[in-house]
Amino acid sequence: MFRLPGLLILFLLIAACSQQPVIDDRMKRIDGTMPADLSGSWERNYSRDDEVNAVLYGLYYQLSRTSPDQRYSTSPGVAMPSQNDMASVMALARLADLITRPHVLTISQNEHEISIERKDDFAILCAFYDGVAKGTESSYGTEICGWDGEQLISNLVLPDGLQVTHRLTISVDREQLRVVTTVSSNTSRVPFTLRRFYTKFERLPPTFNCIETLSMKRVCSTGEIVP
Amino acid sequence: MSRFVDEPGALLVLLMVILLQPAAAAPLTSEVNAAPVEDTSSVSALNVSIAVFDPGVPADQSLHRDLQVFPRIREIEAMFLPFVLRETLVETNEWGAVRVVPEPDVAVELLVTGAIVRSDGEILELRIRAVDASGHVWLDKTFAGVATDNYSKRDNEPGTVGYQKLFVDIAEELQTARALLNSKALSDIVEISLLRYANRLAPSAFGDYLNGAPDGTFTIRRLPAKNDPMLDRIERIRNTEYVITDTVDAKFQQLHVEIASIYDLWRKYRRKFVEYQMEDARRAQKTKSDASRGSYEAIKNLYDNYKWDRITAQEQDSWAVAFNNEVGPTVEAMEARVADLEGWVDQQYLEWHRLLEELFEVETRLEE
Repeated sequence: MFRLPGLLILFLLIAACSQQPVIDDRMKRIDGTMPADLSGSWERNYSRDDEVNAVLYGLYYQLSRTSPDQRYSTSPGVAMPSQNDMASVMALARLADLITRPHVLTISQNEHEISIERKDDFAILCAFYDGVAKGTESSYGTEICGWDGEQLISNLVLPDGLQVTHRLTISVDREQLRVVTTVSSNTSRVPFTLRRFYTKFERLPPTFNCIETLSMKRVCSTGEIVP
Repeated sequence: MSRFVDEPGALLVLLMVILLQPAAAAPLTSEVNAAPVEDTSSVSALNVSIAVFDPGVPADQSLHRDLQVFPRIREIEAMFLPFVLRETLVETNEWGAVRVVPEPDVAVELLVTGAIVRSDGEILELRIRAVDASGHVWLDKTFAGVATDNYSKRDNEPGTVGYQKLFVDIAEELQTARALLNSKALSDIVEISLLRYANRLAPSAFGDYLNGAPDGTFTIRRLPAKNDPMLDRIERIRNTEYVITDTVDAKFQQLHVEIASIYDLWRKYRRKFVEYQMEDARRAQKTKSDASRGSYEAIKNLYDNYKWDRITAQEQDSWAVAFNNEVGPTVEAMEARVADLEGWVDQQYLEWHRLLEELFEVETRLEE
């Protein structure tokens, strides 16, 4: 008797939540300096990472409880998620897994910008001018960053309601970095979230000093190169 | 000073010696051997000064990425492109001395200033303004040019910058504007130029030769005597300054020679960037997934479209860094030397101004 309205409310709540911007105006502003320094080289700590299958299992359970289709109900309030639901979540999971695959993150940071370089992917760029986040817009999507306390959030909005959000948190001792990546879409009732952990490492000083040039490409020397 | 006033003859001799030994006193002898730009007093062949362009970099840094503006490269272009215009004007043989100068000087016979509106390797847009010494605007318009590939024309030798048509257009428009003036008007420009210069150095002596209108134009009220000794000194000082200006101009020439091929490469990369962008767009169109909405193929495709677009843009950023790495030392050395020369001229200006004013005072007293 109460099941249908309850599910409806839950569904509406999920829909309402998905409309809220991940980064609000408050997060787009910083007072002077960046709230945290994330710079450095970071190496994946696989032992602490989320297991994709485990996260999927959790979502399967969540979808079961909230499935509006109760035809295959095994017990009150619990039903098999629809094929569409599972296919959508699986798609998000695969994309999240792909995006979070890089073994190393190289983060450089100055007073205006944070650049997060990843192998085989574009560098996430967070730019702040006069204390206000400046997004990157193209015909393919919009990327913007913000600070939620000491957590850096990068939000990429793509067509079809597809969103990729990274939330980066550095440990107090600045040795560990947690990156929580959430992929959501209008086509899925639930987002997919993966946590990846990284440990700081120091790169060995290079044997050669190199600079990039246009005419000679990379120029290296054992001595100092003054560009 | 009062001691000198008591001996006006001695002061005159002393100051004349200083004033009539222009370049010899300069600590620049090693550089002043640059081939001087051929000067001319012919009224039809006005001397032209082209000021370093306004780089057109928006003050709002947050716009640089959106507008594809690389500030340091724009600054280099602002020094580099005036020299291309200078070369084009010189090749026409229609003008007197054509010089590139670091700062606009309103007293020159014809001043050309410019601002870079757009420069993306493919298209160059320059806003060019030309004003003569009498304050009349000859030209104030935007010129646009599409790049041509230099490498294909001269057996793979880097040639001049690939927007030659644009600079030829500017040169032609300047000639057209000049053709509208009769020889009296051209002669007046030469006179006004010298008088404005003189007025700046010795306002007491040359303050009332020109009429200045509220619209910024000047007309000749009267002319100094041909044998006016003050005017003679002014001309000597101006010639001294020209030697320095020519040295500065030679620095811009040197910069042009040293970075032309790398600048051409930069433009090639910029054009490549535009091609990559088009390729990204084609790829996005081609790979528009037939897969159902929300499927992995569909969402990966959306992600990849953005990813490749960003990678292309970030590659361009790295080319800009590479360009700066390569030409940075040359440009910085040139800037430092030009600043030295400019500083020296500014200092001399103050000195010349002071001496001429004193000289005029002394001479006026003598006449009384």
